[in-house]
Amino acid sequence: MTKIIVNGREVEADPQKPLIAACHDHGEHVPHYCYHPGLSAVGSCRICQVEVKQGEMPARVVAACRTPIAEGMVVNTDSEGAHDSRRECLEFLLKNHPLDCPICDKAGECSLQDYSFQEAQAEGRSSEPRRKLEKRKDLGDVILLDQERCILCSRCVRFMDEVPKSPQLCISGRGSHSVVETWQDAPLTGNYQGNLADVCPVGALTLKDFRFQARVWNLTRVPSTCSECSRGCSITAEVLRDGEVKRMRPRPNENVNGYWMCDHGRFSEGELNRSDRMAPAALRDDAGQLTAADPGDALRVIQNLLSVQSQALLLASPYLTVEEGEAFSQLARSLGRQASFFSPEPNDLRDDVLHTGDPCPNRRGLQEAGLTPMSSDEWAAASAAADCILLVGERLLDMLGDEALAGLPATQRLVVMECRASDHPAVDVAIGVPNRVERSGTWINVDGAAGAIRAARPAPQGVRTIVDLLADLTTTSGQPEEALSS
Amino acid sequence: MTSHETYLLNRAKLADSHTLEVARADGAYGALRKVFETSMSPEDVVEEVKKSGLRGRGGAGFPTGLKWSFMPNHESDSRTRYMAVNADESEPGTCKDRVLLREDPHCLIEGCLIAAFAMRLDAVYVYVRGEYRLPYDRMQAALDEARAAGILGDNILGSGFSCEIHMHKGAGAYICGEETGLMESLEGKRGHPRPKPPFPASFGLWGQPTTVNNVESIFNVPFILDRGADWFRTLGTESSPGNFLCGISGHVERPGVYEVPLGISARAIVEDLAGGIWKGRSLKAWFPGGSSTGVLPADMLDTPMDHDSVKAAGSMFGTGAMIILDETASVVRSALVLARFYEHESCGQCSQCREGTEWLEQIVDRMLSGQGKAGDVQLLTDLSNGMTPGKTICALSDAAAIPMLAAIKHFRSEFEACIPTTAEALV
Repeated sequence: MTKIIVNGREVEADPQKPLIAACHDHGEHVPHYCYHPGLSAVGSCRICQVEVKQGEMPARVVAACRTPIAEGMVVNTDSEGAHDSRRECLEFLLKNHPLDCPICDKAGECSLQDYSFQEAQAEGRSSEPRRKLEKRKDLGDVILLDQERCILCSRCVRFMDEVPKSPQLCISGRGSHSVVETWQDAPLTGNYQGNLADVCPVGALTLKDFRFQARVWNLTRVPSTCSECSRGCSITAEVLRDGEVKRMRPRPNENVNGYWMCDHGRFSEGELNRSDRMAPAALRDDAGQLTAADPGDALRVIQNLLSVQSQALLLASPYLTVEEGEAFSQLARSLGRQASFFSPEPNDLRDDVLHTGDPCPNRRGLQEAGLTPMSSDEWAAASAAADCILLVGERLLDMLGDEALAGLPATQRLVVMECRASDHPAVDVAIGVPNRVERSGTWINVDGAAGAIRAARPAPQGVRTIVDLLADLTTTSGQPEEALSS
Repeated sequence: MTSHETYLLNRAKLADSHTLEVARADGAYGALRKVFETSMSPEDVVEEVKKSGLRGRGGAGFPTGLKWSFMPNHESDSRTRYMAVNADESEPGTCKDRVLLREDPHCLIEGCLIAAFAMRLDAVYVYVRGEYRLPYDRMQAALDEARAAGILGDNILGSGFSCEIHMHKGAGAYICGEETGLMESLEGKRGHPRPKPPFPASFGLWGQPTTVNNVESIFNVPFILDRGADWFRTLGTESSPGNFLCGISGHVERPGVYEVPLGISARAIVEDLAGGIWKGRSLKAWFPGGSSTGVLPADMLDTPMDHDSVKAAGSMFGTGAMIILDETASVVRSALVLARFYEHESCGQCSQCREGTEWLEQIVDRMLSGQGKAGDVQLLTDLSNGMTPGKTICALSDAAAIPMLAAIKHFRSEFEACIPTTAEALV
């Protein structure tokens, strides 16, 4: 580490990183467009100007993203010269910008907007015509490009080159004719396109999925973890006022996902927003209909079933958290049974970037909690031999498939604790549970790193946490009925 | 004017000067042989060039010997070492390297080989402007001749020293004359200048130690080694020794490339060599060293043409390519021509340059079409100041802004005359 002085404060800087990183690491924000900590630095936008004094040389204004750290350098991110340079730079960048913030999805989280306000660049001095470029250029299934908003920072080009190593974007044309393009307008491909909208500092690259869906200042952002593979990318779940998950974006985590996430994970919010939720509790009535029931009654029914049936199969969803896994294990132990979690086959999404191909976000955590993985074949054998089946957790019914349930022996009793509603005739007791944006807990990723999921919105009315439900089942196991808490 | 000693263009005056036979008869490769036969060490050669005070002729005027000494020590750094000779002469007004390549390619080869010996280079690349067809062909033919004569390739002149010189043809982009843009282009990429640091001496072509020199700089080297640094210093001025090639163009009777000592007055070049302003007219303005150097008014024509004097006059020596505007020329229109050039040639990486070059052009264009507005001159000044000095990756932004600022400084009234008065505007 090298000692430098930033805004009058002596700090330790990593000499392997550019000056801008040292400033950011120590809480001194330096505006930047082309610089991104996860990409190579090209030093082309020129907004990250700071004043640097080295030795006896007079202080000069330099681009912080391309300035190496040198012992004893004195940095002023707030000097008049630095602000002047930024203002000049902004004036140039805004000269051809369409200023369509009111209809731009990026408004509210746009660096061009933010820095313009910060540097008080309120008045445009150009009376020349603005460049007319393509406003809605289709870049494939995920991304739409507005060339007029683009400030040509080249982050998107470098992202494709350097992260998925799939160079599909380029800046073509020269000088003021430069535009971001794909070769012969071919649509973008790959599982990492969504990151382009994140790296774009302005509203040039937007997600088709998110266009005109929400104003970003109305979103509540909750740190969480992606569920779609065992990488467990750190993410932010962004929820609109009415509770709908509008967007999931990567959250920087040096140890897990860097700054990125894959599209498969990013666009998995549909599952979280479904309206066909399972009621807090339902029991099959005398007429053979699954009807809403008092949750306490339902739990007592389950408890009785579990104490009577000696060959119960306890199977969890792979989306259960460590805490829920432990509660499930405890229940299994109290019944003298082995708890398992469903382990789907690896999928073909595995790559060298982030996706592991293993759809279980918490395989390690559940195994450490004492659950054994159960493959599809093992499930087929075990379910046929069981006299009672307890299925716990989200998306488990979809993973097993309706056919598997239909093939179960008629004498068998089936208890389902799920998120989505099911009126499958095999289900005897149904309990609604919270999904992964409605509960908190921990997943352990493929490398053993813990990733927290956090409730970004309340669970549906009357739905209790899985830990609470399992704890109740465990503590009431073999206990008098009066001990039931609900 | 008094006659002065010349050396750069002497051979060029001989018939078939570009052939090995004529060049050798005139003493070509004598300096190279001297370097080998007097058992000079590479360090001695660098020292001699340093001592000569030779300043780069590509525009910046950086001391050539000092630049060579930036190459890393060969014992502690075993990487491949390159030199790129910048023959992408694209600065408007500049046309001197064309003459050297076309008329005396063997002198350039000799200079390259001496430089290669001095810096222990593995290979030299000559990056020639694509439009220079004849100069390119002549240079290529000279390389073939030299190779056949044992002057190029393995064991040059039996010295045990080996070096290869490769030719590369540019494709018409001004930015590829910028040293790091040139290296990118040589590597087969777009000619986008690289941010510095790292400098070419530590991270140049393909990441290896590289020095980039102008044709005319290298061309001086054989003479310095042959006749000595002390002789070289008898020419030119104390801080800018030697002769330079002045390519003079514009409104003069005899435009062309003239060899003159540094420090000669601009007036002597215009009036004695170039035959004065054409058609009996008088001088209005002149660019001292190519389009990127600030324009100067007629009353500064006595400025000595050397790096320090032109700088003191508020401009730059540049490539020593003088552009002359007579009394009928419009400085505003010439500003538009240059603004258009830089707008066209900006690579587009840096915000200030990409947007600024276009904006300057638009404003001046509008002013000339009768749509000037109050505040335009101030806006031109502010925008230009936002583009220079040193605010971008390379100097193209400065090159666009500096002549604009100079034009406004010396000819402000011409710009203001483009802004209709209120009464006119109402008509």
